[in-house]
Amino acid sequence: MTPAPVFETIADLLIKKFEVAPEQVKEDALLEDLGMDSLGLMEFVFALEDAFNLRIPEDKLDPTQSGISLQQLSSIVQEALPKNPT
Amino acid sequence: MNTRQVGIAGMGVISPLGHSAEALFDGCLRNQSAVHPFEINLSGLDPATVPVASCDFDDKAIKTPSKITPDRGTAMALAAAKQAFQNSSLDMDQLDPDRTGLFWGSGMSGAHSFETICRQIYNDHQRLRPTSVLTTMPNAAVAEIALALKVKGHALAYACACASSAVAIGEAMRAIQGGWLDVAIVGGHESMLMPGILSSWQAMRVLAPLSHDLTQAHQVCRPFAEDRHGFAMGEGAGALVLESVEHAQKRAHDHSLYMTGYATNCDSQHITHPDPAGQVKAMKNALKNAQLNAKDIAYVNAHGTGTQSGDAAEAASLAEVFGPYGVPVSATKAVHGHLIGAGGVVELIIALKALQTQQLPATAHVQAVDRNFQIDLIRGSARSLQQGRHVMSNSFAFGGTNAVLIASLA
Repeated sequence: MTPAPVFETIADLLIKKFEVAPEQVKEDALLEDLGMDSLGLMEFVFALEDAFNLRIPEDKLDPTQSGISLQQLSSIVQEALPKNPT
Repeated sequence: MNTRQVGIAGMGVISPLGHSAEALFDGCLRNQSAVHPFEINLSGLDPATVPVASCDFDDKAIKTPSKITPDRGTAMALAAAKQAFQNSSLDMDQLDPDRTGLFWGSGMSGAHSFETICRQIYNDHQRLRPTSVLTTMPNAAVAEIALALKVKGHALAYACACASSAVAIGEAMRAIQGGWLDVAIVGGHESMLMPGILSSWQAMRVLAPLSHDLTQAHQVCRPFAEDRHGFAMGEGAGALVLESVEHAQKRAHDHSLYMTGYATNCDSQHITHPDPAGQVKAMKNALKNAQLNAKDIAYVNAHGTGTQSGDAAEAASLAEVFGPYGVPVSATKAVHGHLIGAGGVVELIIALKALQTQQLPATAHVQAVDRNFQIDLIRGSARSLQQGRHVMSNSFAFGGTNAVLIASLA
């Protein structure tokens, strides 16, 4: 299960900055189904990295490959985030 | 109706004096200067303060059809073009996209983004956005406006410094007169109020130096004055929607304003110093194109930057074409700043509003006109237009390009 804040931040970005309809933003929705072209996806990944202040390696997320779900994307971001000290 | 005439169906403005043709013109009539100081603090350069006229415009709020975060100038261009179209009585769904064109000018399009990119690379050592090329290419604004307004005919970007948008308007007139297009969205934009670019302009010594008393900065640009010493850099965008008389007749529409004359040429003498001979030819050719005589022109919105050599050349040209003190002239850059590539369209819109309202704006801040100039410079407050149906707007650019536009009441 993806922690809620990560998915919510992604959803917020998609809806507010990339004008994706809120009803399309579901965990099982694929990036390619959100109406963004390859350039839009590159901008989206860039904005995503800025929002979380991290860099996602291209072997984890190639912005030209859009066949991943928002849930998978949330997990990739979660993995890339610095771990909280325990 | 003379079919050489091209109707004006709508106007749009994003300017330092406000975001409509009415707000811009009202600011000019009230001598309400938007000029203010801008501090430059760049590593390696002496600190400086220069005069600018900026727009109260939130470019971050502008959504582009490409979904790309636009250059500030492109955002202004898109806003002005959409405003002009919305103010026209044209319906986008009723237009033939293949016979709809877009002619757009800018002196340094993408300058705002370009300086940001330079800072990211050399100062902040940051990565670059995937859209860096698309925000700085000279036709970035053309691309966004064409997408937004479904333009599929000519979609052309013009870059001839201070004459850019005037040339764009004139070339659109010719495309409509030639039968290539029914409708054209025309205009230009400029936004380069960034420290590095302003330093470059300051290095050329064309920006008016500010005194220590910055409370007087608003009146630092004084075109044609005895004590003129340069201009204030402005930013903004202006747009018109032009329509053929034939197309307007088909939808039973009469325009109240028309574009009636245009001429362009090049001094080919010097890269910055203007040549009155070229300007005179351009004004005379525009009159010939409009089938008018000099005495038919009721008002000239001069290029009038406030520089020593620029104003001297234009004053000599005006006196030769119209005779000494032969036509009322004003230079509104004193209040809205020098909008470079957008200057032609914004100043034409001021001249159009003067025709509509029968009021001629003054040249602000001028106490005494240069004693060598034989021009009827409107000073102090606006003057009533007693008679006349035709106005002229001059744009004389670095690089030697001259562009003269004439517009008329129906």
